[in-house]
Order: sequence, then C-alpha cells, then structure tokens
Amino acid sequence: MSAHAEHVNGELPHEPEKATLEGRNKVLGFWLFLGGEAVLFGTLFATFLALRHQNNEGPTAAELFSLPITAAATLILLVSSLTSVFAIQAMHRHNLEKLKLWLIVTVVLGLGFLGLEIYEFYEYVAHESFDMKTSAFSSSFYTLVGFHGAHVAFGVVWISLLIAQLFKKGLTFVTAPKVYVSAMYWHFIDVVWVFIFSVVYLLGKVG
Amino acid sequence: MTANQQSNEGHTVKHRHRTEGPEKHIIVFIFSIILTAIAFAAVAAGGVNPAFTIILLLVMAILQVFVQMGYWMHLKDKGHLMPIVFMIGGFFVASTCIIMALFWVWW
Repeated sequence: MSAHAEHVNGELPHEPEKATLEGRNKVLGFWLFLGGEAVLFGTLFATFLALRHQNNEGPTAAELFSLPITAAATLILLVSSLTSVFAIQAMHRHNLEKLKLWLIVTVVLGLGFLGLEIYEFYEYVAHESFDMKTSAFSSSFYTLVGFHGAHVAFGVVWISLLIAQLFKKGLTFVTAPKVYVSAMYWHFIDVVWVFIFSVVYLLGKVG
Repeated sequence: MTANQQSNEGHTVKHRHRTEGPEKHIIVFIFSIILTAIAFAAVAAGGVNPAFTIILLLVMAILQVFVQMGYWMHLKDKGHLMPIVFMIGGFFVASTCIIMALFWVWW
C-alpha cells in the first residue's frame, strides 16, 4: 500500500480513489459517517418541526423569511455541488490543474453561501429582535440552520486544506480518496440544504 | 465481499478507460433547478391550497435528493450496496424521529 503512494501522476488508474484498499475503506467508512449525519440532522429537523409554531409572541416564520435570499443561497449551494462534480471528473482524467480550479470555485461558492447566511442571521438578530432566546421556534431554527452552516464552514476549511495539499503533493493514491470523500461530504451538505429550504423556509412561508 | 466486488470493478474500469462526460451531471443540475423553481413558485404564488403545497414541497425535495444522491454521489453505480444500506438506515431513524415529533409531541 505504501509503495502505491509513491506512484507519479501518469501511472494512476481511472478512479485513483478506489485503487487501494485504504482508499476503498475510506469511502465506505465515510458512507457510514454520512448515515450517522442523516440521523443527526433528522433529530434537528424533528425538533424544529415540533417547535416551529411556538413563537412566544416573537416573529413568526412567515413574517421573518425572505424568499429571494433563500433562493440565492439555494442557487449558490446547488452550483457549488455541480462544481465539485466537475472537480471529481477532472480528478478521474488526472487533470490536476482543473481539479484544483474546480475545488477553488467550490470553496468560493461555499464562502458566498456562508456570507449570505451570516447576513441573514445578523438581520434577524439586529433588526427583527429574533435571537437564540426569543422563542422555542427561534432556538430550533438557529440550531438546525446554524448546524448546517457550521457544516458548510467545516467543509470550506477542509477543502481549502486539501487544495493546499494538492499544490504540495499533487494527485496520488493518498490524496485522491481524500478529495473524493470531501466531494461526497459537499454533496451531502447540499442534500441537507434541499430539506432545509423546503421544510424550514418554504413551509414557514406556507404556515 | 464488497471490497472484492469493488476491486474487480476497478480492474475492468481501468482496462476500458471509460471517461464520462459532464452531460448527465448538467442534466441533473437543470432537473434540480426546475424542481427547486417549482417549489419556490408554488409558495411565492400563494393562494395554493396549503395541504397541497406541503405535499408538493416534500415530493420536489425527495425527488431532488434521490437524483443528486444517485448521480452526484454515485449511489446508482455498481458496488454501492453497503452505502445504500447505511443511508437507508440513517434516513429510517431520521424519519422515525420526525414522525414522532410531528404526531406525538403535542398529543
């Protein structure tokens, strides 16, 4: 296995992330982690759905949420999921430059999403007097959406570090599974966001 | 077992030199945009029956998640039996929590 790590770019197989047992185990183990993440977010969604009408005379979901901001955040995250697909396709073609480029685009879009979410939370706290302590609705809202935002922030840091490692070490049997797994994580974050914009924002507007 | 299957698959892939194009991923992207637009439009238009809107939102979200997990996370590809088992297990526990919260908390 360690001998494989010394291979140079040109000798990589089509799917370098699955070329070693270590790489395959990493991908399989990451799926188990994502199953656990699904349970984690499931419990947060359950809490939110149970408490979403308990606004304690504070702002309600329908008063608070803005569809254009939610739509913009959704579009940014969806595009970033597509760019990480392109990154993995570039990796399968052993095109290191394009791989790094698409990962950088993904990170920039992730930062854009985070900026939008920070702006949104700031508006709620500063101008709508809607903070963590306002109501059961506000607590469950900030916990669920904030937890997703924290996942995005973690993904941005993680993928940035992987880009730095790709600059230093290039594409090898060791770096390829890491990149593949980070792209899986990023898709999962987008999948969670699909439920958040549907269940939290759009359902909040419906009532 | 799974490792063997995957290594065999990796072997054949290496010999075929299959490089998939971006087309089907762009189709998934456009499909996701359309589903998202339908969900947003139904809510923005208002006036639609709330019960119908809720079902529409859920169907659009689940469809989008299925397509993205199938194509972007490769769950539809061969050798993904254990990942599918993990995700179904995760979603099963998650939906149990959600059903409990929706129907029993305020009972």
